[in-house]
Amino acid sequence: MMLLAKAALGLGGTIVLAGAYTMREGVIRVDVDEYHAGGSHIHLWVPAAAVPMAMHFVPTKHMRHASEQAREALPVLHAIVKELKKYPDVAFVEVDDRDQHVRVRTHGGKLQIDVDAPDQKVHVLCPLSAIEDVTSQLEEHSPGA
Amino acid sequence: MSDPNRGFFARTALIATAALILSPLGVLAQSAAAPPASSNQSTTSVSKDRWLHVRVISSDAKGETVRVNVPLELAEKVLPAINKNRLHDGKVKIDDAHVNDVDLRALVEAIRTTKDGEFVTVQSNDCDVRVAKQSNHLIVHVLDKQNSKKSEVEVKVPMKVIDALFSAGKDELDLVAALHALSAQGDTELVSVKDHENTVRVWLDSKNVTD
Repeated sequence: MMLLAKAALGLGGTIVLAGAYTMREGVIRVDVDEYHAGGSHIHLWVPAAAVPMAMHFVPTKHMRHASEQAREALPVLHAIVKELKKYPDVAFVEVDDRDQHVRVRTHGGKLQIDVDAPDQKVHVLCPLSAIEDVTSQLEEHSPGA
Repeated sequence: MSDPNRGFFARTALIATAALILSPLGVLAQSAAAPPASSNQSTTSVSKDRWLHVRVISSDAKGETVRVNVPLELAEKVLPAINKNRLHDGKVKIDDAHVNDVDLRALVEAIRTTKDGEFVTVQSNDCDVRVAKQSNHLIVHVLDKQNSKKSEVEVKVPMKVIDALFSAGKDELDLVAALHALSAQGDTELVSVKDHENTVRVWLDSKNVTD
């Protein structure tokens, strides 16, 4: 009984700690639905903390290539994310017409992009800290770093 | 270890495990409840930040509305990070500060040093144009009367912003300096365009939402 309790405590504690660590930054959510023949339907939920962690396992060669590809955008992205963190709940862009709605906003420290159109729906929710982590890691692998 | 102690430890371990496993539910519940509170806080507050707003309302069949809200500080910080084509370090290169053989820098200097007044006034059957300096603002007003559907454009730029724009070296416009100068201005409407189909407004205030 004692051994079972210890094992349960150890397992439970590990699960909770791993879960809390993985979920501490929230979830990256991507939903894409294209309403036409052959249209894509993508629904992706990934713990935000898992992405920078997973990037550590990407071979350096590929990280360098990605960094080089994104070289021009990285400083801009870094500056935008750093500034957006100061505005956790703001609608930056709203476009509405009879059929379509586009929103770019921050909500609870997450970047939220919503596109609702008759032929497609796109919803992206990504914690700003996750974008910052990714850009930082890519910057670390840039040729000049 | 005695049997009563063993039982006590086993129960304690099981309770602790159950508490640990259930604790994230509490955290999730808290995090689910938290955003609306912070959202309300941000949307109702008027911060010291200066916000540039753009609003386009189209009254055509599609009835499109565009609202853009940009904190000036964000624009000030992000612009220097963009280095593309003519834009570098928040400055735009222009060719010899001459546009169609007009020396912009000399023109700005002349306007800056001159007193308030009307520089250009055109009144015709087709359109009215007025360019003036008034209360340290450069004002351009155009009323197009060419067809039955009139359109009206009004641009009002603080002179300090124009000064800052031309404060960089020769052949450059300093956008960051202009934004910085703009952020020091009070609430003001910069651009207003009205025609039979569209209404465009660009203005500056301290609110993070449009009207």
